[in-house]
Amino acid sequence: MSAYQNSEQMKGDFYTQKFEAGKRDGTLILNMGPQHPSTHGVLRIVVELDGEYVVRAEPVLGYLHRMHEKMGETQTWGGFIPNMGRVDYGHPMAWNWAYCGAVEKLMGIEVPERAELLRVIMTELNRLTSHLLWWGAYILDLGAFTPIMYAFDDREMLLDILQRPTASRLTYSNFRVGGLQMDVDDKCIEMIKAFIPHFRKRLPMYKDLVTDNLILRRRIEDIGIIDQDMCRRYGCTGPVLRGAGVAYDVRRAEPYSVYDRFDFEIPTQTSACSAGRYLVRVAEMEQSMRIIEQAIEMLPSAQGGYIVDKAPKPAMKPPVGEAYFCVEGGRGKVGVYVVSDGSKTPYRVKLRAPGFSNLSAFAEAATGTLIADAVAILGSLDLIIPEIDR
Amino acid sequence: MLKALEGVQTQCVARQDKGTTGHVWSVFLAPGQVVKAAGKLYEAEYSLEDIFALDFEEGFLVLYHFNRWLVDERVVLRVLVPKNNPVVPSIAGIFQGAEWHERETRDFHGVRFEGNPNLVPLLMPVETADLFPLVKSDKVRASIKTLLNLGEVVSCTKAIEELFAEAEAGEASEA
Amino acid sequence: MSAFVQQLLVLIVAAVAAMIWLGINALVWVYCERKFAGHIQRRPGPFEVGPHGALQPLIDGLKLMGKQLLTPDNADAILYWLAPILSMLPVLLLFLPIPYGPVLTGMDVNLGLLLILAFSSFNGLAVLLAGWSSNNKWGLLGAARAVSQTVAYEIPLLLVVLAVTFMTGTLSLTEITNMQAGHIGNWFIWKQPLAFLIFLVAMFGETNRAPFDLAEAESELTAGFHTEYSSMGFGLFFMAEYGYMVVMCSVCSVLFLGGYHGPFPGVDGWWWMLLKTFALLSFMVWVRWTYPRVRFDQLLNINWKWLLPLATFNLLATALILKL
Repeated sequence: MSAYQNSEQMKGDFYTQKFEAGKRDGTLILNMGPQHPSTHGVLRIVVELDGEYVVRAEPVLGYLHRMHEKMGETQTWGGFIPNMGRVDYGHPMAWNWAYCGAVEKLMGIEVPERAELLRVIMTELNRLTSHLLWWGAYILDLGAFTPIMYAFDDREMLLDILQRPTASRLTYSNFRVGGLQMDVDDKCIEMIKAFIPHFRKRLPMYKDLVTDNLILRRRIEDIGIIDQDMCRRYGCTGPVLRGAGVAYDVRRAEPYSVYDRFDFEIPTQTSACSAGRYLVRVAEMEQSMRIIEQAIEMLPSAQGGYIVDKAPKPAMKPPVGEAYFCVEGGRGKVGVYVVSDGSKTPYRVKLRAPGFSNLSAFAEAATGTLIADAVAILGSLDLIIPEIDR
Repeated sequence: MLKALEGVQTQCVARQDKGTTGHVWSVFLAPGQVVKAAGKLYEAEYSLEDIFALDFEEGFLVLYHFNRWLVDERVVLRVLVPKNNPVVPSIAGIFQGAEWHERETRDFHGVRFEGNPNLVPLLMPVETADLFPLVKSDKVRASIKTLLNLGEVVSCTKAIEELFAEAEAGEASEA
Repeated sequence: MSAFVQQLLVLIVAAVAAMIWLGINALVWVYCERKFAGHIQRRPGPFEVGPHGALQPLIDGLKLMGKQLLTPDNADAILYWLAPILSMLPVLLLFLPIPYGPVLTGMDVNLGLLLILAFSSFNGLAVLLAGWSSNNKWGLLGAARAVSQTVAYEIPLLLVVLAVTFMTGTLSLTEITNMQAGHIGNWFIWKQPLAFLIFLVAMFGETNRAPFDLAEAESELTAGFHTEYSSMGFGLFFMAEYGYMVVMCSVCSVLFLGGYHGPFPGVDGWWWMLLKTFALLSFMVWVRWTYPRVRFDQLLNINWKWLLPLATFNLLATALILKL
């Protein structure tokens, strides 16, 4: 028997009952989710409503919990990589990279230059797909149905590109300790080169059609303030933090791989509201394209192959020790901490999900707003539930 | 970092190799000092990255990762708690984000965080809240000294030194 | 006596015709809306059933009818099932006084406009009943929203209609149409441009259409007032929504766009009325698939702070000009 049993006399499950204990008079307790159109998966939020105003909110997680960390302790070091493609369906390459980077750190592997550049290109392309997915879904949350179709139109082209060197379209797991699973072909590079000018033409249309729309602006401006202090207390990173005016990007703050060679800006907004986070993400798409362009230029003269010579086998045995490696994912700082006991399986794998910390700030940000604003705030955090629940 | 933690009774402060571990500072603390240390780190503009536990023979080693936005200087606070009574004071009063991390650690290892405003299962279902999936079996459980490296010690109490001392002796003899 | 029987027969024929017309409209507009939406979103829309998917709405209707009728636990069953009927029935009545052609008028009553405005308010009641009786919190929120929205938007709507009737001196839709005969310059849209714009905006509020679809607000309230309805319960609300849209657009074309009169003399006919109504409907569809949804307080602010003062001003200005 668990210590957290719910009472038979009362209605609802454990979390509802616990939440109801602090209920005020004249308020309504509403379970948003686990199946709700704007919780993107199976997130559940218990809210106490006074009219349409949110008095209290409490996210209830765990509906998509798959215990990746336990799986990490039972699989071989190499065999855990496919899990990384499934933690975050939005930006799986960042997770691939964080895990492989941590293991490389443990083993002291120097990744060849060409592999690093290819990793950068693919991760940035993947970041574009992640942001496009968020963009379409967020506008859908706000009630406009069309932009997601336009976003998926472009995303489809990106998936076609990424399909060639990864052989998958959503849950990429093409990273290997020491490099990548396979090299890109010339056709792929050509497709990327063709995509970038195309997407550059699309971005102004998105701006005219959606970003400058008065209704959208009124819906997201000054809604859901998450300022710098809140970001620090909750550990928010990524666009949430940059939307609060801090130019913190792991690619710059803790340069990994070859990111120190590229010339790109870190877009920030000082408004700290949903609109700030929105504009940061939209501006980031342009910066990702700049990085891809520079990386493609450097590619022909890069040293080495797509993977290190004598790459470790999946059943590798990294030396004893611990390593923490973090990268900038579409939602923020993706961190992986691994401990090796010198055997074929990791002793401990800890996954630090950016969405987990970002969502924890939701309850405070949403208090006192309208239920429609709560939806707008939830969307502006760019939630990928599998990543939060792991 | 050292300045930030002034006044906190540390058990061991060590500098670690960033290139191989990703940490810059590793600090061992007694459970009672965690809240004070977190408060000092908050004042020094550190933000919380994550909290989790490791299962060792000596007990649960609770790890707190902190980092700053402007200067990359990751600090890892390590708190060793005994298996039979794994209790750590909660830092959710200072870093509100810690609430969820602590709940997650409770789910996975059964470490209790005293003072957490809402210490109920977060990721595990309530029905199996006391399963603690990441607690290892005795067969695979290792001791701290075999897996972790103390690093370049700045100051250290005897207790922590003893935790690691044997390992170095053992390794030396193996060599 | 024979005159009475004749009148009765006309009425019955008209009612049946209205029913058929409503059914056809719902089918056609479900199809058109999905097709328009498809093309706006760079996809073909329904394409599999029939040529270019033309039979899709029929199949959808069959599917809806085939579903089980469910009454939720603890719901007030009588009110719960009364609501969709109450939503649907007035729509049939609403078609009667609308002049679709010189002879194509179900019932030429001299208070036609009043009849339409009065009976169209029934929808608010139906939505309230639906949301309240289904014993669902989303439904309740949707119903509360729907009522404050329809009540609010009815006021500017009435005020602009009043401004038009100041000019015409009659509430009969046929007479209003006939006053705009001749050429395009006689249409009331030129005399009452502000009223036309207010009517257009209030029309969206009255019919609960995006960007004012707060009562359903899929991403906030899952489905709002009709969350619990299955099968034809939902189907009736759905048909009624399209019915109200057609009625509102018809009234708008009668009041401002000259009804069945063509833009130049000698080409009058029902096809003009149809064309104008369909153009307005297409506009509504276009707006729905383009704009995000407004927030609820913004919705009410638009009404109370902008539409209402403007409509009042329009009414006073009309009265003043007429007096002079």
